[in-house]
Amino acid sequence: MAAAVHKLLHPHRSRDQAREEEHERQNSAMDRARVEEKHTLAQWGEKKAPLEPGQIDKDPDQKMVGHSSHVLRKKDFELIKTLGTGTFARVWLVRLNDAQKGDENQVFALKILRKADVIRLKQVEHVRNERNVLAAVAGHPFITTMVASFQDHDSLYMLLDYCPGGEVFSYLRRARRFNEPTSQFYAAEIVLILEFLHEREGVAYRDLKPENILIDAEGHLKLVDFGFAKKVENRETYTLCGTPEYLAPEVIRNTGHGTAVDWWAFGILVYEFLVGQPPFWDQNPMKIYEQIVEGRLRFPSAMSSEARDLISGLCTVDTSKRLGNISGGASTVKSHAWFKDIDWDALYHRKIQGPIVPHLRGPADTRNFDEYEPESIHREGYTKEMQEKYEDSFKDF
Amino acid sequence: MSLPPDYSNEISALNREILKHQPQDVLQFCANFFLRRLESQRAEFLLSQQHSSPKGRGMAESSFPGGNPFGTSPSHTGSYMQRLDEEDENDAVASPTAASFPPNAMDKAQSNPASEDTFGNFAGFGGFGDSVKSRPQPAGGIGAPDAQNLPNNYNLNRRTSVSAESLNPASSDHSDWTPPKHPKSQEQQARLREAVAGNFLFSHLDDDQSAQVLGALQEKPIPTKGIKVIQQGDVGDYFYVVEKGSFDIYVNPSGKLEAGPDGQGNKVGSVGPGGSFGELALMYNAPRAATVVSAEQSNLWALDRVTFRRILMDSAFQRRRMYEGFLEEVPLLASLTPYERSKIADALETKKFPPGTHIIKEGDVGESFYILETGEAEVYKRGNEKPVHRYGKGDYFGELALLNDAPRAASVVSTTEVKVATLGKNGFQRLLGPVEGIMRRNDPSKLQDSDGVDPFTKSS
Repeated sequence: MAAAVHKLLHPHRSRDQAREEEHERQNSAMDRARVEEKHTLAQWGEKKAPLEPGQIDKDPDQKMVGHSSHVLRKKDFELIKTLGTGTFARVWLVRLNDAQKGDENQVFALKILRKADVIRLKQVEHVRNERNVLAAVAGHPFITTMVASFQDHDSLYMLLDYCPGGEVFSYLRRARRFNEPTSQFYAAEIVLILEFLHEREGVAYRDLKPENILIDAEGHLKLVDFGFAKKVENRETYTLCGTPEYLAPEVIRNTGHGTAVDWWAFGILVYEFLVGQPPFWDQNPMKIYEQIVEGRLRFPSAMSSEARDLISGLCTVDTSKRLGNISGGASTVKSHAWFKDIDWDALYHRKIQGPIVPHLRGPADTRNFDEYEPESIHREGYTKEMQEKYEDSFKDF
Repeated sequence: MSLPPDYSNEISALNREILKHQPQDVLQFCANFFLRRLESQRAEFLLSQQHSSPKGRGMAESSFPGGNPFGTSPSHTGSYMQRLDEEDENDAVASPTAASFPPNAMDKAQSNPASEDTFGNFAGFGGFGDSVKSRPQPAGGIGAPDAQNLPNNYNLNRRTSVSAESLNPASSDHSDWTPPKHPKSQEQQARLREAVAGNFLFSHLDDDQSAQVLGALQEKPIPTKGIKVIQQGDVGDYFYVVEKGSFDIYVNPSGKLEAGPDGQGNKVGSVGPGGSFGELALMYNAPRAATVVSAEQSNLWALDRVTFRRILMDSAFQRRRMYEGFLEEVPLLASLTPYERSKIADALETKKFPPGTHIIKEGDVGESFYILETGEAEVYKRGNEKPVHRYGKGDYFGELALLNDAPRAASVVSTTEVKVATLGKNGFQRLLGPVEGIMRRNDPSKLQDSDGVDPFTKSS
């Protein structure tokens, strides 16, 4: 529109126009690169195979996935349906626009974050962490794969693989609770994720809950939403984040926390799988926190003693006694009696059939996702002041 | 055939709510509406049961479908679990209390103001603790007279993540930060200390932290009656303690303060001197769950979240770095990696001893190792009347206990009040494995390895 008006006002060839043509020449080179990249992305979806932990641990630019793309744009994707919303992000099911023959059916999840909202909600640091952690871990069998990231003036984009099975949360609420074998299978895949994140990447995930665990087309888990994930390595961190029922006591007390918070949350998760609700709950969140800090667990009489022992070990207020955080790390969890039937190597290589394999009509089936309200029209613009102050923080995208 | 009158009543009530709120997400709104209705009705029923039953809440418990999976535990704690059935015999996920609820029993249900607690309207507000004065005490001998004893219907919806401001002790803008200090009289200090004593966020603080937090409370005079200190639905950044006067608490079932004379909703309680409100704001920024209005000229003390959490963070951060520094000086632990040192620093426990205490005794079997954090101590050996050594800040002793069970070679006696950081052999091994293994790393070839020197270029 602006360009059209410009042409009406200046019918003769202007300096602007010359610049525009130069721009177009560059664009055609970009176009070729873009076509190629889209084809590569589509192909990744076709032949994705779990990488070994050692292969994941590479510079994202050396891998096929997880890089920052300079050629992709929003227009390269057709937005099909909203898969989820957060306070400053929306995830869409997307298809490639102008795809090459054979790539047309390839779908992805595109997470779109508006820069202005990210800044307003003080999530700049979290968004940076999310992108960089996802880039580093792309290729893990049970973590959502960030295929690529890119940005434009207003927004940040993360192109992720699509998990048509929907959230474990939905299955859990529908079933009310999972039986022990189902709980064990899902819990075991989570253990492999935490082992990898903590011991290979030095990353604390910090928001474990059924809502953030998806089921893929084959019935395996994918951990999503790395908004609070942080590379902590050997330093403790202090920013309170997570989900009320899953917060570890050291987060509430602000005494500094690290990867041990994920083992606490993992204990809550196993409890919620088996019981149908987390162990610490009240209408009043402060009462939840009081219970958490006190750390007194109560188990239904039907729960097996192995499960109780595991949960008690994980949900231990004293981090120096918490299972997963003590000497041996994740291996102490893996060797716990509750997991005695798990073949960890076969599990990592996705050779074990999951308890729920979603019935799907096709790769773009969204029946397992809820309906979300359309995006509100009232949106804050990304101002020049914001750009000056924050643009550099987004440079990794 | 006509629809039952109860049904028609509910639907017309729902219609009114829909007209009033014009919700965008109609289904969610209706679901919430019915859940709220169900909760209040069940709560009313329960209360009427408790009031009429000689056995108190035992009766109420048995009126829920299915057995209580927590049946073996004492019934006065956490009764909220009672709705979890042993069997999956009914599919009442969205309305856990419904199922086989006896309909005729409902006729006895009477309205009771205390049932408002179960609406969940307080969610996000922070408990009122002892400060709520007007809540009627149920007569039937219920264990503790608060909402916790009522079945709390677990919210089965997606839970949203929360986060507070990013706090980073290492960044330069914080390094010279000191908490604000607002002067108070001794008397005021004592009153404030008492007011927050029952709050778990404050009860874990050590003396220094406690002094800093109390110092940071800022006086906020409320000149007259009718001032809204906090408004339901607004963002919350401050926690308040009442010094003088009184405040009324209102909750609008819609979740936020509305315009108009009834916009603040129903009065659910009041709070007077020594009471407090808004403590959830000390955790993160959540919408206020109630509106609090002054009932007379009053005086408040306010504390904001960032100050509170920075005080906690800074003292934890300094303590950890101090412990790590001390640990670096212990030759026995010289081969620990920074990660291991930070784990040990995290696990060290602070203990205080009055002057003249035998911290370790010669001849005893040693279990723990100690670092002197503040104060002084003297070392005695049998046969010497005079101390053979003196310990001050940063000195450590008893570390051989981590390695073997040999008896203590000397006694250490405090000469002043002392604060020590201590860790037992068990704790150490739990975190890092056997000390012998760590000692073995002192092998020179290993040291070279860890320095990145190729072990094959040098003969060792």
